[in-house]
Amino acid sequence: MSKISAMMDTGKRSLMNSQTALQTVGHNIANKSTEGFSRQRVELQTNTPITEGNLQIGMGARAGVVTRVNNPWLEKQIQREGMSMGFQDSRADALSRVEQIYNEQNNKGLNQYMTDFFNSFRELSNNPESLASRTMVRESSVALTKDFGRVVGQLKAVQEDLDGQIKTTVEEVNQLSKEIASLNEKVQMVEVQGTPANDERDRRDLLLKKLGEKIDISWAEGKDGMVTVTAGRTAILVSGIGSSELKARQTDARDRVEVFFEGSGSTSANITGQITGGRIGGALDVRDHVIEDLLSHVDNMAYTLAKEVNTAHIEGFDKSGRNGVLFFDMPDQVKGAASVIGLNKTVFNDVGRIATGAQPGAAGDNTVANVISALQYRQVMDGGTSTLDDYYSTQVGQIGAVTQRAVKAQESQKNVMSQLTNIRESISGVSLDEETTKMIEFQKTYDASARLIKTADEMFDTVLNLKRM
Amino acid sequence: MRIADKMSFNQVNQNLTKNRSEMADLQNQAATQKRINKPSDDPLASARVLTARTEERGNTQFIKNINNARSFLEFSDQSLSELTEILVRAKELAVSQSNDASGNEESRMVTASEIEQIYNQSIQIGNRKLGERYIFGGQKTQTTPFNQSGEYFGNDADMKIQTQKDSFVAMNLPGSKVFLGRGLGGDGIVRAQYETPTDVESLKDFQNKEIERQQINEEVDSNFLTTRGPASESGRQNRSDKQDPVTGSVGVNLFSTLKNLEISLKTNDKAGVQEALDTLDQAISQVVLARSEVGSRIMAVNSTTDSLQKAVVDNKVTASQLEDADAFQVISDINKTDSTLKATLETSGKLIQPSLLDFLR
Repeated sequence: MSKISAMMDTGKRSLMNSQTALQTVGHNIANKSTEGFSRQRVELQTNTPITEGNLQIGMGARAGVVTRVNNPWLEKQIQREGMSMGFQDSRADALSRVEQIYNEQNNKGLNQYMTDFFNSFRELSNNPESLASRTMVRESSVALTKDFGRVVGQLKAVQEDLDGQIKTTVEEVNQLSKEIASLNEKVQMVEVQGTPANDERDRRDLLLKKLGEKIDISWAEGKDGMVTVTAGRTAILVSGIGSSELKARQTDARDRVEVFFEGSGSTSANITGQITGGRIGGALDVRDHVIEDLLSHVDNMAYTLAKEVNTAHIEGFDKSGRNGVLFFDMPDQVKGAASVIGLNKTVFNDVGRIATGAQPGAAGDNTVANVISALQYRQVMDGGTSTLDDYYSTQVGQIGAVTQRAVKAQESQKNVMSQLTNIRESISGVSLDEETTKMIEFQKTYDASARLIKTADEMFDTVLNLKRM
Repeated sequence: MRIADKMSFNQVNQNLTKNRSEMADLQNQAATQKRINKPSDDPLASARVLTARTEERGNTQFIKNINNARSFLEFSDQSLSELTEILVRAKELAVSQSNDASGNEESRMVTASEIEQIYNQSIQIGNRKLGERYIFGGQKTQTTPFNQSGEYFGNDADMKIQTQKDSFVAMNLPGSKVFLGRGLGGDGIVRAQYETPTDVESLKDFQNKEIERQQINEEVDSNFLTTRGPASESGRQNRSDKQDPVTGSVGVNLFSTLKNLEISLKTNDKAGVQEALDTLDQAISQVVLARSEVGSRIMAVNSTTDSLQKAVVDNKVTASQLEDADAFQVISDINKTDSTLKATLETSGKLIQPSLLDFLR
């Protein structure tokens, strides 16, 4: 009799095992599209057999543990490449905007305004007596100084926009840190009982990837299953079940947003210089290196132009034989020159004050106008090795090249990511075909187990009906 | 390799995105007919396009400069041609009155009044205006260059016009040179100043030299050699030929030449008329030489125009070669991408649809 009961028992456990396995299949199918999910498997183990004399009788199977199919090293690699992806993404986006400021393929830009400026002086040199040519010089000068302002304004607008992006991203970082810390707690709570916290770990892996896309992090898992996350070199964002925040705010030294680590207590450390990856890293790179560099170039041009035109203009004599005044309001220093450069009010209000002649009292004297227009072809930039035009078109070429490289790097990083994700999916992803097969398999097992119970039941009947036979 | 469902979806998604963005890019090229729409499309080429455009604009302006200078020069040429004609007429008159066979006291008196007319005409020519500008006043284009007694109120300077990146051409002849014979070269030819200041240093040098030159001019004026001064006309200021102490050239003052001739005729001074013949010859050759200078400048700017016009075309071609899309290439690429896209769509449909579940009915 005990054998029949055991048979029934084995059948019952097998039924339950199949249900568990089918449940897991269902979980997998349900999470087919869940981001970061790893397929799970029920590990079936044979039950301890019973020894009867010299016989060892198998006692069926039991569901041991539900494991996830996952390669932790691959996950770590994806996380690292994701960091680079975030960096390249934000860099390429920002640079594409920067390059539009220098795009003269379709619109008028600094280069053309500069040519117009010099050409207006050539026109003036044709006819220094004419008020019309003088007005043209005024208009072209005002347009040129305005365009200097436009370039600076647009570059600064991109910087401001990046400031905004950094602020928002820092908020997201804080949110993610908090979630990771709370998942740390859950993982620990589940795993202390000896069961792997599959779903929590998947979720935490995903959040680490997302965090890495925003800021460069390094992380390590402790023996208790909890991860410690550090941003940059020193900012410990997550430690055990606790998390610390980052703050993005302006400093007194500069009108740009910087990133601070708000540790426990009142300590606050500026970690801006440590961030070299993720979206924040990319934004910082464009904001603080590329754009700052371009700004200094534009300033340099505006300053040199103002200085050279002024020194010539002041030597000249105007329409009524008066000494020349400053043509441009002279910027005090190179830094910021492009935003302050403007046509001198005196000249603006009276175009007769434009000094074209080398000598007083000769209305047709165009010597100074020639000196100013010749400035276009003089090598006044880069320590006397390039003209203003060269200097500018070199910049346009450079920004184009930098953007092109960034876009290409972004593309290739995308490819790396999609390949890695593919490998990950081929390991951890859910395949419907596979799950269906498993489903059929476990259904058949279920069927057979039920048949076994039925057989045991019939055997019981047979035994119970012995007397009546 | 194990293929998870997400992989297939991702793949389909990626392929379609790639094809569609390629298509969008090509359509953009087709619509703009441009290969380069932003610097990063081809950094090197876009910088060169910029340079080509700048050069083109510069060259277009130079052509405008030249057209302006040419009309000035042509008008000068025309005026000098008239001046030559009336001087030749003066010489004819002088020849006819230089001997007693064809001239006598009365005819000399009559001729004198015609010479006076010629004198007035040449003053008028010296005060010619193009638009609002006196063409023979040097840079003093708003001041009448000569008064009735032939005094000069302009200056000796040239108006230089930029005709190429590094060259300037003078568009005027100062009246002091053509009419007064002052500051001519050793060979008696009117020449423009060789140098044009293009930076502040040379501008200052230039200004200093101009001041020096003015002082020399004043000195020359006060030390001029009087070759002839009829007692009967002592009241009239007498400017006559003098040697330029700087260039060593012997220029001729057209006005005093004519005036002297007129006086000689009026005073029936045969010797004086004969003497005037020589100076008139010199005067004619001075004007003819000035005209040839104008002519050579016109020729120079004409040939510059030709090369500038060619350069403008070249610049346009360069820019277009660098930035224009190859229409045939774009269209054929569009067709290619279109068929790829269709193929991707078709295979994608097949890839996504069937799963084991579809066969388990």
